[in-house]
Amino acid sequence: MSGSEPLGTEKIYFREAIARAMREAMREDPRIFVMGQDVGAFGGSYREFDGLFAEFGAARVRDMPVAEAAMVGIGVGAAAAGYRPLVSITYMDFMMLGFDPLINYGAKLRYKTGGQLTAPVVVKTTAGAKGQGVAHSQCIEAWLMSVPGLRVVAPSTAADAYGLLKAALREDGPVVFVDHKRLFPIAGAVPLAETTLPIGRAAICRSGTDLTITTHSYMTRVAMEAASLLQSEGLSVEVIDLRTLAPLDIETIVSSVKTTGALLTLEEGQVTCGVGVEVIARVHERLGLIPAARVGALPAPISSNPVLEPACLPDASRVVVAARNLLKNRIC
Amino acid sequence: MLIRGFETALARRPDHGFQLLSSGEEAVAVGLCAALRDQDQLLTGGRSIGPALARGLDPKRVMAELLGKISGTNRGKGGRGHLADPAAGFFGAHAVVGGNISIAAGVALSMQMSGTNGVAVILFGDGAFGAGALHEVLNIAASWRLPLLFVCNNNQLSVSTPRSTALAPKNLSDIGLAFGMPSWTVDGMDVEMVASAAQRAVEGVRAGNGPGFLEFVSWRFASHSTTARETRSRAELEEIRGRCPIARQAEALMAAGLMDEREHVSLKHEVADAVAAALAFADESGYPDPDEVLVDVW
Amino acid sequence: MFYKISVPPVADVEEIRVLEWHGDVGHRFNAGDLVVELETHKAIIEVRAGQPGVLRKILSDAGNWQQIGLPLGLMSDEESEALPDAAESIVDLAVDFEIN
Repeated sequence: MSGSEPLGTEKIYFREAIARAMREAMREDPRIFVMGQDVGAFGGSYREFDGLFAEFGAARVRDMPVAEAAMVGIGVGAAAAGYRPLVSITYMDFMMLGFDPLINYGAKLRYKTGGQLTAPVVVKTTAGAKGQGVAHSQCIEAWLMSVPGLRVVAPSTAADAYGLLKAALREDGPVVFVDHKRLFPIAGAVPLAETTLPIGRAAICRSGTDLTITTHSYMTRVAMEAASLLQSEGLSVEVIDLRTLAPLDIETIVSSVKTTGALLTLEEGQVTCGVGVEVIARVHERLGLIPAARVGALPAPISSNPVLEPACLPDASRVVVAARNLLKNRIC
Repeated sequence: MLIRGFETALARRPDHGFQLLSSGEEAVAVGLCAALRDQDQLLTGGRSIGPALARGLDPKRVMAELLGKISGTNRGKGGRGHLADPAAGFFGAHAVVGGNISIAAGVALSMQMSGTNGVAVILFGDGAFGAGALHEVLNIAASWRLPLLFVCNNNQLSVSTPRSTALAPKNLSDIGLAFGMPSWTVDGMDVEMVASAAQRAVEGVRAGNGPGFLEFVSWRFASHSTTARETRSRAELEEIRGRCPIARQAEALMAAGLMDEREHVSLKHEVADAVAAALAFADESGYPDPDEVLVDVW
Repeated sequence: MFYKISVPPVADVEEIRVLEWHGDVGHRFNAGDLVVELETHKAIIEVRAGQPGVLRKILSDAGNWQQIGLPLGLMSDEESEALPDAAESIVDLAVDFEIN
């Protein structure tokens, strides 16, 4: 051991946290199985399913042809019929192909059947820009937040990926689990004991008194970097990692903004109809028109171009500028 | 007869709602369901009333559902487009054309994984034949040898679009052959032929031979739905309605000495009574409370 | 003379986990020998000696984590040389590395 990890934890890669969650869940519940491209012997595009095929075999770790609509639908159908599949969609961009079975059937199943059926399926997908071009870079989790019957979670650390995935696999309805390309190189401390995290609970990663930043997924790391920079300018920033996008943990956010009096939302997706505008609207409903601002990608497709991609995406310095402007304009 | 009587009575009501009726296509529903056992599951598209009744769902609860009452199979919240009674082997209708073909494959997969000896049957129209979902699922079902039977009720019209202008294969069942599965095209207006073809197909799937594709060629006697305009001429319709599968079966039974006129009339009364009882049940039942709007969302 | 073996600068990697040392302290490596295997988030890095030397100190054992560019161990030309006090002045060992 390196010795710097908290007691009772192990430091592992993000992908290992996912594999561990799957392994534990699949050992405990024989109804859980995995479907996706390259999930079997290949172990997943990010090796996030390493070891599962060897332990559980082809019946429970199933490679699929490229057919997202069918894949999601088969997952939803098998879930409705009593299983607990995890459908892996390598790029979130291609989740769109599975929207019909997931949203028109899966999310509405309990309601439309008057409670007779439900679809406990987890759709796990990787979002985010990392040099792969306009159709392999999107963060569209905001699109899913408004679907009644659909839960959406987005971890930013290995520990949260582990805990939220275990929780997602225990839910009685459909859950979309969104991770991010840029989270896979990171490692983090994960509890040694088998644990789950509650869905619907945000985490305060950094306490502060002058400004609340709400964020999720990879942007949490950007927010923390920005908070450090703002600290050196004498500003105390509280960073809240949403962790669950649907249902949002509005209580934690409201409680924070009551103290700070200012709210900045940060996401890698588009700000139009994004995660941030929903957070701000709900905070305004509760606290009145406190100063608020949104930071997200510029309104353009995200090219793989090495100059244009970073120009499009939020980074710590853009967040710092937005925070300064927000606090400067605030009437104290 | 029950299906025809039920739907006729429903259509007469001013509050009949948005319905897709099976008149002319009753033989497909009845013949297909005759081949299904308790452990099987039937999924359908939006033309669900005929198949639901044929599968044995209680007409009272179906009528209540269609009229939006809380005593309906889906607590009034699904309507015709989403009728479901999985405990009775009717996993359910889904109103998105082709939208539950992949769902049916998931049900079939669950049966395969559990080893239940059940068969999942997905009934869709020629209107769904062009949908991508069908082709993706044909491939996976064949590849995994899923216990799934594809049944295409080809009534030769998708709202206003004739099958001949929209769909390329000579027989729609040819698509099954392309994926290496047993495939048949059968006359959908003869209930005995439908039943025996369905029996053969279902048992082949049950035996572990992998999926099968059944095409029944039928005729729709009315327009696509209660809101859709009819595109065929009066003369055309008169000719089409002359092919009534119910009349045909009645004639065949009487010709074979298996039913006499008195028994036929008696059946008509039985149907009328059942339909009346269904309507009465539905009319006596209440609507859901407005608070029900937020129940069973999650 | 002493040399330090550091984590090679691999693209898209921030930190690694030491997988296995292919020799104990005191082992003499020839040029081209596999010295240590490192695990990144997606691959294994084989660090091979670019020059001969004796492994004198392991700073990161198997299972430990280390950042890109930071030292993993110390090598010297001869076993008899005394270990230095400060590691900062030590030059990097010439290495070849392969990512699998």
